[in-house]
Amino acid sequence: MSDNTSEFSADAGDGETADPTADDMVIETDVASATSSSETTTTPDPIIRSRDLDVFYGEEQALDSIDIDIPENRVTAIIGPSGCGKSTFLRCINRMNDRIEACRVEGELSLRGKNVYDPDVDPVALRRRVGMVFQEPNPFPKSIYDNVAYGLEIQDVEGDHDEIVEQSLKRAALWDEVSHQLDSSGLELSGGQQQRLCIARAIAPDPEVLLMDEPASALDPVATSQVEDLIEELAEDYTVVIVTHNMQQAARISDKTAVFLTGGELVEFGDTDQIFENPEHDRVEDYITGKFG
Amino acid sequence: MATNNEIEGFGRVSRTAGTLFRYLLLAATLFGLVFVTILLVYVANDAIRPLTADPGWHLTFFLTLVIPTLAAGAYANRRDIAALRTGVFTIGFVVVALMFSGGAAMIFVDIVEPLTWLAFLLALAVPTAVTMAVVSYDHRVSFVAQFVVTVAAFYLSLFGVPGPLGSLAGVSTMVPSLFGFVAGLPFAPAPWLMMAMTFGPPVAYVGSRYVAGDRDRRTHVLVGAGVLAVVLAGGALAPFAGVDPVPGVVVAAVGIAPPLVYAAGTAVNRPTERVGLLVPATVVVGSLVGAVAVDVVGFAGPQSWVDWAFLTSSHSSTAAEAGFYPAIGGSILLMLTVAVLAFPVGIGAAVYLEEYAPNNRFTRIIDVNISNLAGVPSVVYGLLGLGLFVTYLNQPPGTVLLGGATLGLLILPIVIISAREAIRAVPEETRAASYGMGATKWQTVKNVVLPRSFSGILTGTILALGRAIGETAPLIMIGAPNVKYSLPAGLSEAASAMPLQVYAWSSLYAGDDFYQKAVPAGVVVLVAILLAMNSIAIVLRNKYQSTE
Ligand SMILES: Nc1ncnc2c1ncn2[C@@H]1O[C@H](COP(=O)(O)OP(=O)(O)O)[C@@H](O)[C@H]1O
Ligand SMILES: [Mg+2]
Repeated sequence: MSDNTSEFSADAGDGETADPTADDMVIETDVASATSSSETTTTPDPIIRSRDLDVFYGEEQALDSIDIDIPENRVTAIIGPSGCGKSTFLRCINRMNDRIEACRVEGELSLRGKNVYDPDVDPVALRRRVGMVFQEPNPFPKSIYDNVAYGLEIQDVEGDHDEIVEQSLKRAALWDEVSHQLDSSGLELSGGQQQRLCIARAIAPDPEVLLMDEPASALDPVATSQVEDLIEELAEDYTVVIVTHNMQQAARISDKTAVFLTGGELVEFGDTDQIFENPEHDRVEDYITGKFG
Repeated sequence: MATNNEIEGFGRVSRTAGTLFRYLLLAATLFGLVFVTILLVYVANDAIRPLTADPGWHLTFFLTLVIPTLAAGAYANRRDIAALRTGVFTIGFVVVALMFSGGAAMIFVDIVEPLTWLAFLLALAVPTAVTMAVVSYDHRVSFVAQFVVTVAAFYLSLFGVPGPLGSLAGVSTMVPSLFGFVAGLPFAPAPWLMMAMTFGPPVAYVGSRYVAGDRDRRTHVLVGAGVLAVVLAGGALAPFAGVDPVPGVVVAAVGIAPPLVYAAGTAVNRPTERVGLLVPATVVVGSLVGAVAVDVVGFAGPQSWVDWAFLTSSHSSTAAEAGFYPAIGGSILLMLTVAVLAFPVGIGAAVYLEEYAPNNRFTRIIDVNISNLAGVPSVVYGLLGLGLFVTYLNQPPGTVLLGGATLGLLILPIVIISAREAIRAVPEETRAASYGMGATKWQTVKNVVLPRSFSGILTGTILALGRAIGETAPLIMIGAPNVKYSLPAGLSEAASAMPLQVYAWSSLYAGDDFYQKAVPAGVVVLVAILLAMNSIAIVLRNKYQSTE
């Protein structure tokens, strides 16, 4: 195996020991999260950090010089009007943009200090550390069990898969509903259940970061609030970055909020309470109060 | 006043042109269908000759078969339309399964010795087991080691040491392969027992999985034992019906057990559709009662040209005695060869083009040319087969292998195109989900894309296969014999095929009698086999669409 895979390896233990600074960061983060309240004045060291990040689709610029520091074990919401580049930014983090031919990324985006666009980074190994949940529930046409075990199988995760599947379904608040029908197809579930299945699938291999692109927008209100509760709980162990165009949702579940506005700029980034109560920029205030968007 | 009315109402907009257009479209839709149907009815009438039967024969079957079946169908329909559908499907299943079992039985009666078959299966099963064992330890064994072990296991098991590699160097085989060893055993169980051993367990396993699902172990064992009993009974009871035990086992395992399993599955798992089983039951019982009744009373049945003798004998100098057996067998062998040659290549090409190929000019050129290849006339493919295999590679003309390779080339573009369509129908979100989990391309293709598109690929390839076995021109070009008196004993022997035999019967040399008797009978058999294949494709497609 080449060294890039040891840097972004499927093995979660590997990732922390590979880079000595990463180790330090973990400790610091723990200390920071123990001492600080939600009104953090001393922000913990970021797990994801971008500097001067530009993204182009062909000639079209979708993201313009994004600088952001996303803290560990927090929920960071990304809000903004349609087409402002929220999904594009999210796809930069796990390099799903690589799959779009016209897409070109410039600048730096690092995960635990390592620029994921360095040539020695294997995007497949990166994605094993950064899970993703999509807008439309997209379970595989396989059994519920096989859906959740998918990441375990392809990543060769050691351990008792039955146990991990059960734990993941429990964490996704789905176990009680499906424990008796693990063999039936994931497609037979309702929309909300499917999305929770996708969350269970994403967390089963225990990624460090969970990206969610409008995970509740295709769901009815009841399912939405279930998924939202779930996200708040997940934040205890995961760094969650969630795109939403639902302002209340962002306010309710996130610790930090990033506001992107048309043109692909990050206009404001800060603690959620501050952004919603007292934004610095008039454009952000207009957007949040619904005067534009 | 009229104008007043129009102002008060909304007035009317003329739809004459639209209505005319609509019926023209309907006519266009039905145009071909009607003509082909008329032709087929005409040919079927010539072949089966229902009017030569005693009126009493028709009346008897009308009373024992038609009326009860209609009544049962109406009853099932009143209870639940889904039940009726299940019942009709079961009948179709029985017909298609019996046809397939007949084809499979031919292979084991005339081409493959049961002992050879058993040896071959064992020689494949052992290395497969080795491969699975190695792969399940895959995080401990490197890929290269796995690959080497797998290839070595298959080679040793099929060819021995040093095998064909050694004979290239002039060394004779020192250690026989597993295949050679088993096939050369001086003692062996009775042939039909060997067939039951190879066919029974897989059918029983699939059957018990299907019927018992996630029920308790007892149900599983019960269903499995039931299927095994049916298969063994096929062999044990066949002699009483005047049939060899070997085809008896094959027909029981392929033709009778699967529909029974399906019916049992309906009875156990879908209680609302249970009444539907009344329909196939009525058909079976009604036919038997009718057959006994006309036999007892002595009503003569139709003097059909398609009869048991036609299906089981070979060509003869008189039309009334001419049979179709070698042609059917030849077509089955050709079909198997085509499937083995064309499907892996075609599906492989489709996966490459859809999942791996970069989007550049080279790919686009290939793209366009594959579509062009699909339009090349079949005669040209025949010429290609003749030039490439016979003239250039010095193969004997007209063999099964040659015909299969030529027809395989012919349908390759169709297989590629339809497989690509099926692969393209896999939603992008599903792929994204897999890549988002950190899957490699190979893992995504293997675990998500192929399973998801499998039934679509199968549908397209079955239809393509149907096209291949209906082809005549390429076979004529490569010098396949018009008339063969026996089944080919292997892939390197010449074989006739159904369309070729029909063509021979209709040619000038064959005489009027053949044209009137043998040709319609041959056409009916050919069309029936093609329709059976298409029905499988349609059932697969419906199933595929309903799981979307
Ligand atoms: N696959 C793509 N190809 C070309 N342009 C794209 C693609 N995806 C997004 N874009 C463009 O990038 C911009 C940002 O899109 P996106 O990130 O999807 O916005 P959001 O998620 O905020 O609605 C839009 O102008 C959109 O048209
Ligand atoms: Mg979006």
